[in-house]
Amino acid sequence: MTELSLRLAVSLAQIAAVMGIVMLTVMILTLAERKVLGWMQDRMGPMEVGPYGILQPIADGLKLFFKEDIVPAGANKFMFSLAPILAMVPALIGFAVIPFGPNETIELFGMTIKPFVISDINIGVLYILAFASIGAYGIILGGWASNSKYSLLGGLRSAAQIISYELNVGLAIVGVLIMAGSLSLVKITDAQAGGFWHWHVFAFPAPQIFAFVVFVISAVAETNRVPFDLPEAESELVAGFFTEYSGMRFAFFFIAEYANMVLVSCVAAALFLGGWNAPYPGTILAHIGLEPFAWIEGVAWFTVKVYGFLFLFFWLRATLPRLRYDQLMKFGWKVMLPIALANIVVTAIAMYIYNQFK
Amino acid sequence: MAQATTSERFFSWLKTMTFYELLVGMKATMSHLIHYKPITLQYPHEKRTLPDNYRGMLALLRYDDETEKCVGCDLCEAACPSRVIRVVSAEVPGEPTKRYSKEYYMDMTRCLFCGMCVEACPVDALAMTREFEWAVFDKRDLQLNKQQLLAIGDRSFPVREKRLELQHQNVAFFNVAFTHMPQKPK
Repeated sequence: MTELSLRLAVSLAQIAAVMGIVMLTVMILTLAERKVLGWMQDRMGPMEVGPYGILQPIADGLKLFFKEDIVPAGANKFMFSLAPILAMVPALIGFAVIPFGPNETIELFGMTIKPFVISDINIGVLYILAFASIGAYGIILGGWASNSKYSLLGGLRSAAQIISYELNVGLAIVGVLIMAGSLSLVKITDAQAGGFWHWHVFAFPAPQIFAFVVFVISAVAETNRVPFDLPEAESELVAGFFTEYSGMRFAFFFIAEYANMVLVSCVAAALFLGGWNAPYPGTILAHIGLEPFAWIEGVAWFTVKVYGFLFLFFWLRATLPRLRYDQLMKFGWKVMLPIALANIVVTAIAMYIYNQFK
Repeated sequence: MAQATTSERFFSWLKTMTFYELLVGMKATMSHLIHYKPITLQYPHEKRTLPDNYRGMLALLRYDDETEKCVGCDLCEAACPSRVIRVVSAEVPGEPTKRYSKEYYMDMTRCLFCGMCVEACPVDALAMTREFEWAVFDKRDLQLNKQQLLAIGDRSFPVREKRLELQHQNVAFFNVAFTHMPQKPK
């Protein structure tokens, strides 16, 4: 009994810490995106609130809290309230299986706990994929429940997008799963230890470079980001599926999108780029005799990789125009799906031969 | 369009497959980030210098003895393409040859700052100032009366021009000096 409650307390503390970090990252992202977009377009971005506008996320949050929360007449009130939650929860729940740092265990109150992963479950990748597809329900329901044609069209576009990309995300990951031999993100990350030539993008015998490209493109589509931001097309659909949303409900969709970006970046870093592993064998801190602090380096590398991906999201947004949805589906089904399938076949054959002669 | 040869089609296919065009675009945005030169002006804090012929808010002017220049001739009202101006002219009491604008309204919500009223004015009573910060919360604040327009003129042209006799001698020939001039509103 005591052990159970202790375990619960430790888990809750971990969850609180991860949620806090994710929310902080989302806050940083809302500012960083506007800043980076501004810099790339020869503007300055937010400059008024605080020095160089760094307090802008707080001002935005305050504004959204105090705005009037409108439910349109004729909207399905229950679904209208449920949709933002349905969009938000899957985005946050995926972080439960992400390993943020080295796979160490520490002894605390007579228990062994893993400090850098909330829960190391055997089907971590499957769990994330399953919840990621639930996130689309929030968008579609939000569009439907608003009782507005623009919102509905935005939601339907999201559905069109999901059937083009959900599959490719799954298939792109399969190659990595074959190589690592596990669905647990911790095990997949550990399989990539020992230098960047062991990362799954470059790893012998079957470099997953094509799968990586497919995964990144699908991830951009999955998070509804430019150039695949069909549900939010401002120019054609007023604002897309959240046209009728205001105040904190709108903020929930917004936070969900950014949390999804962070989640997808974490997954991409963990699956393809070695997660918390440094691009050289071992850690510098361990080599110079600071063994107990080696985890700092791992967490730092993970952070660098995740933020690199997030920067790629911004970079794409500053560059590319939006795709038409038939182009999008054609690209998804006729280009990326064959590449992903061929990658699985090649990886499987290569791994079979490799295991014969190992 | 000319028929593309096989090699041309192959290279175009290769460019599509390797995202060549997308990478060119991304290189362009990245070069903007690296050679970052913002063209933004932090407006309320820094303001650009206005050109010499800038046409800002309209104003009514006075002579240096504080009499109003406007003689109530209605030409500005006739010249205005968007019917911004309305003049109610009246005789100066005790001087039957002399007129002035008793009331003078401008609806600046409609003004398109073409400057035709200024050109039409025979006595240069109207002028375009360089004031442009006229954002208001209530549109009715932009319907200006004569006192407000004169106040704008007073603060935009504090050094007033000379008297009518010196400046427009032909007009001044018919336009004898005021003896009962309208008082400057306090």
